[in-house]
Amino acid sequence: MDFDWTEDDVAYRNDLKDFLREQLPEGWNGYNKSDLAKYKRDSIAFSKAMAERGWLTQNWPKEYGGQEASPWRAAILSEELWPIGEPRGPQYMNVNWIGPAIMAAGTEEQKLYHLRRISAGDVCWCQGFSEPDAGSDLPAMRTRAVREGDDYIVNGTKIWTSHVGTADFCFLLVKTDPSAPKRAGISILLTPMDTPGIEVRHIDGFVGEQAFHQLVFEDVRVPAAYRLGEENRGWDIVRRALSFERVGAAHYETGQKILRSIIAEAKRNGAIDDPEIQTRIGEVYAALEAARLLTYKVVDLRAHGSPPTADSNLSRVAQTTALRMAGELAHAVFGEEGLVAGSGGDIRRVLSFGVAAGTTEMQLDQIASNFLALPTKV
Amino acid sequence: MDFTPNDIQRQALDAVDRILERNGDTSHNKKLVEQVAYDHALHDELAGAGFFELAVTEGAGPLDAALVVERIAENAAVLAAAATALVFPMVTGEVAPGPIALANGQGTPFRLGQFAKTVLILDGDVAKRLEVRPGDVEPVNNDRTGWPLARLSSAALQRAPALGPGKGEELRNWWRTGLTLEAAGAMKGALRQTVGYVKDRVQFGRPIGSFQAIQHRLAHLTVSAEAAYWLGLEAAYRRADPTAAAAGAAYVTANAPLLLRETQQMHGAIGFTREYPLHLWTMRLPALQRELGGLTRHARDLAQSLAAGIDTRADAVASQL
Repeated sequence: MDFDWTEDDVAYRNDLKDFLREQLPEGWNGYNKSDLAKYKRDSIAFSKAMAERGWLTQNWPKEYGGQEASPWRAAILSEELWPIGEPRGPQYMNVNWIGPAIMAAGTEEQKLYHLRRISAGDVCWCQGFSEPDAGSDLPAMRTRAVREGDDYIVNGTKIWTSHVGTADFCFLLVKTDPSAPKRAGISILLTPMDTPGIEVRHIDGFVGEQAFHQLVFEDVRVPAAYRLGEENRGWDIVRRALSFERVGAAHYETGQKILRSIIAEAKRNGAIDDPEIQTRIGEVYAALEAARLLTYKVVDLRAHGSPPTADSNLSRVAQTTALRMAGELAHAVFGEEGLVAGSGGDIRRVLSFGVAAGTTEMQLDQIASNFLALPTKV
Repeated sequence: MDFTPNDIQRQALDAVDRILERNGDTSHNKKLVEQVAYDHALHDELAGAGFFELAVTEGAGPLDAALVVERIAENAAVLAAAATALVFPMVTGEVAPGPIALANGQGTPFRLGQFAKTVLILDGDVAKRLEVRPGDVEPVNNDRTGWPLARLSSAALQRAPALGPGKGEELRNWWRTGLTLEAAGAMKGALRQTVGYVKDRVQFGRPIGSFQAIQHRLAHLTVSAEAAYWLGLEAAYRRADPTAAAAGAAYVTANAPLLLRETQQMHGAIGFTREYPLHLWTMRLPALQRELGGLTRHARDLAQSLAAGIDTRADAVASQL
């Protein structure tokens, strides 16, 4: 066991910090997503610069243009990029799980076409998972893909889809056999977003611009050659992909940044002298550290070649818990000033952490069945 | 970074597991608790095998000792594991046969004091070392549950010589590290016992562990028990760095109360009997929660040291979630 970074890792983190100083304006603190075209342009420019350094897909196998860097490198990258607002934009998904899913299940043609684009940093994806009647119960999805010659004809609706406004492709889950048991009839279509028949509806929310969309598919013709993996076997690919998604973002590090801003405000307004506030600061810090260590456990398992385990669910629950505690503390410390949008006490998004990337309840189900081996529901 | 035990650590854990298994099961530990007795046989065997020297042995260190301490606590052995194997050697640089106990200077009840040969005392900010003589410690009645407790006489407290400057802070930090590990062990042990119980216990025609109302609560407890384990190990690895030690202690004292009441609750009445072993783990947690001022003190120390490092302008940047 070793709780220190290797010299190489430390050097990498320093190089990365230098790179961020070069690439981003001083004091950069995330994109303004109200100008979508600019957001896409800037995030692509940043991702391309990372690609030129060989950093965008450094964790990928060499045969796909990666360097087989240790998963710890990805953790460092995530710790440096998430707290400042993820300058890769939506492309973190490409690198963390869409690319790997294509490597695992794609045809040679798909790999050649997609992986090169992803590793060059100039393509954006979205994920077509949730539906109006299939949220946590994702396998209950109803978006239908019916085979017609060399194509599938897709009809249905996806919802809560993030990053649609910038997406060139959708990692789309469809039902190809509605008569099969729930998980057995699902397939994946790597669908270009400019395919005729896809309608994008923006859903206005209060947890960040561009967070929510509805995607309506009406007789959308997608070539069968775009199907990822075997027909009706998409669920296994998705399940694996999701386990990577859960720890792809170092939210605990964002939480530490929030905590620093809370302490700064508490020092400014005098709340720091309140013993209760002090206690809560200590508790939030400890909870964020707990989340960090449980995330590192997942990275370590991956570094040792382990298949995905329920440790990723433990990490996610710990991160959600810690961030909510941080949000509640911000409430107490910022007072009414925290009601102002964009202030350090504006913690509305913290509430959504237990919903995004799989609800907390689903994470707890996974821990119960896969970590504790508790009996299944009757 | 590497969260996987190395060969030496695996061997140490295998060896301690063998000794613990040979020494006796939960009914053996239950009997000791019932008799308010110390596991001298186990203590001597672990001492003979060198486990109390591990923290200061070349080629090993406090992390290796920490792994062993946590494992002993998970096993609910009646043993002053953290004080003897970790806190004492790290604070004094010496190895003593023990048992070692840890007390504060206010004369309040402390764990395993009646069996200790040496007591390290944190009196305010000063560390003291007491070689125990007859009459120095008096057992305290705690209804034969949890840790055996004792009280230090004021004469003994006055007699104990102070260790060098800075040792008080060192003692506090190593003590916090030790209590985090012992709490992590107790939390994991209580949780394991409870998970086993809810798989077997049938009500309404099905194991109660199949109810989501039980499953989600156990899943939350799993997060805190696993996190406690890693926080304790990291604090030991960082040689009781003040922030890491206080973070571990704050985490376990904040999360142990829920684990205690939930594991008791899920057992129903059987969990409150002496016959059933759950108390071996759960009833240890209240003592660990109270040491060194408890959550408030751990967390406030942490907050004050964090606040000292915060620049009110540079750090006042709202995060983009």
